[in-house]
Amino acid sequence: MTYLDDLSQQLRAVGVDGRRRRRIVAEFADHLACDPRADLGAPSEVARQFANQLGTTLARRAAYVSFAALAVAGALFGVDFLTAQTRALAPTGSSTLAYVGAGMALACCQVAFVAGSLAALRALRRRGAGVIARPEAVVIVRRAGIGLVAGMTAMLGFILTAAGLGHYAATWWRTLIFASSGTAIVVLLAAAPAVLAAMRLRPLAAGPAGDLNEDLGRLLPPALKGRPWRFAVVVAGAVALAVAAAGVAQADPFDGALRGLADGAACLGGFALLGRYLGLRV
Amino acid sequence: MRAEALKGHLDALILGVLEHGPLHGYAIIEELKARSGGSLEIPEGTVYPALHRLEAAGLLVSRWSEGARRRRVYRLTARGGRELGVRRSEWTSFAKAVDAVLAT
Repeated sequence: MTYLDDLSQQLRAVGVDGRRRRRIVAEFADHLACDPRADLGAPSEVARQFANQLGTTLARRAAYVSFAALAVAGALFGVDFLTAQTRALAPTGSSTLAYVGAGMALACCQVAFVAGSLAALRALRRRGAGVIARPEAVVIVRRAGIGLVAGMTAMLGFILTAAGLGHYAATWWRTLIFASSGTAIVVLLAAAPAVLAAMRLRPLAAGPAGDLNEDLGRLLPPALKGRPWRFAVVVAGAVALAVAAAGVAQADPFDGALRGLADGAACLGGFALLGRYLGLRV
Repeated sequence: MRAEALKGHLDALILGVLEHGPLHGYAIIEELKARSGGSLEIPEGTVYPALHRLEAAGLLVSRWSEGARRRRVYRLTARGGRELGVRRSEWTSFAKAVDAVLAT
């Protein structure tokens, strides 16, 4: 087996895709044609370097690209959400499909926001690192991927809501929801290749995945450092209070308190369900 | 200078070499050796992963050349030029500080 054949095999083994693999082999072939005695290093070591360096860059890029897409989708979601509070909806109008859609939209938009923001935050914290550990790259890419999927599900939820409400909603509002949510889904889909590329090629370096301490650094109060569950309870409490306060402001304190409790419980449930998977706790 | 000492500086060196015009991988390595008067011992296989990484980060762009042999030619982007400026100024401060300590 020639050096170049071995290199190609090693690159394939670490996850370098066919197109890039052919390009690398062609570059090494050119180098060896210029200097047949050149010492380019063991193929396994060269492949490892490609995986470490490209895997790191791709993980960071996946986080930034998905965050940018989520920011656009978030703005469109805001338009959908605010217009839903107007007189576009008849107060008596409801349907099971609309309830399911609204539930999807409200739950998934929060997951998308948390996952996408934390992906970008960790990538930003590791912006100067030439190589990041494989478990940490997995967490970053996972957050970016979950953020995109949750974002698309939230927008789909709005579409289902509009479809479910049918003639209970103004035509202009349904058209707006279909257009804005559809646009958001297209934007989020456009970010998916960056995440998929990072899923295929991951760094091989060993090391910890890290948790909220790595994400928030000095922003995390000392009392909450190394205590992820306590952090989750504080955040859930703050969310519950904010929602309840909004209810009071809207002159509906009982409903606000109920919604606050539900939102706080959803926060804790989300943390229990996805906390470990998204690298929020070890 | 040993390869270990170059760790962390390879990106800046590559960007610096490409500042003067596009080059392919082998020529970049040769230029690095020539400009350092042969005192930089660059493990040649490490330059290619760095080139791909810098390109993925948007600091370089590359294309196949149209010559007799198929070669990947790298060029500095505007962002790469700005990054080189940052790295250069960081290096100047670092070298000045180390110099001040070692000179005493």
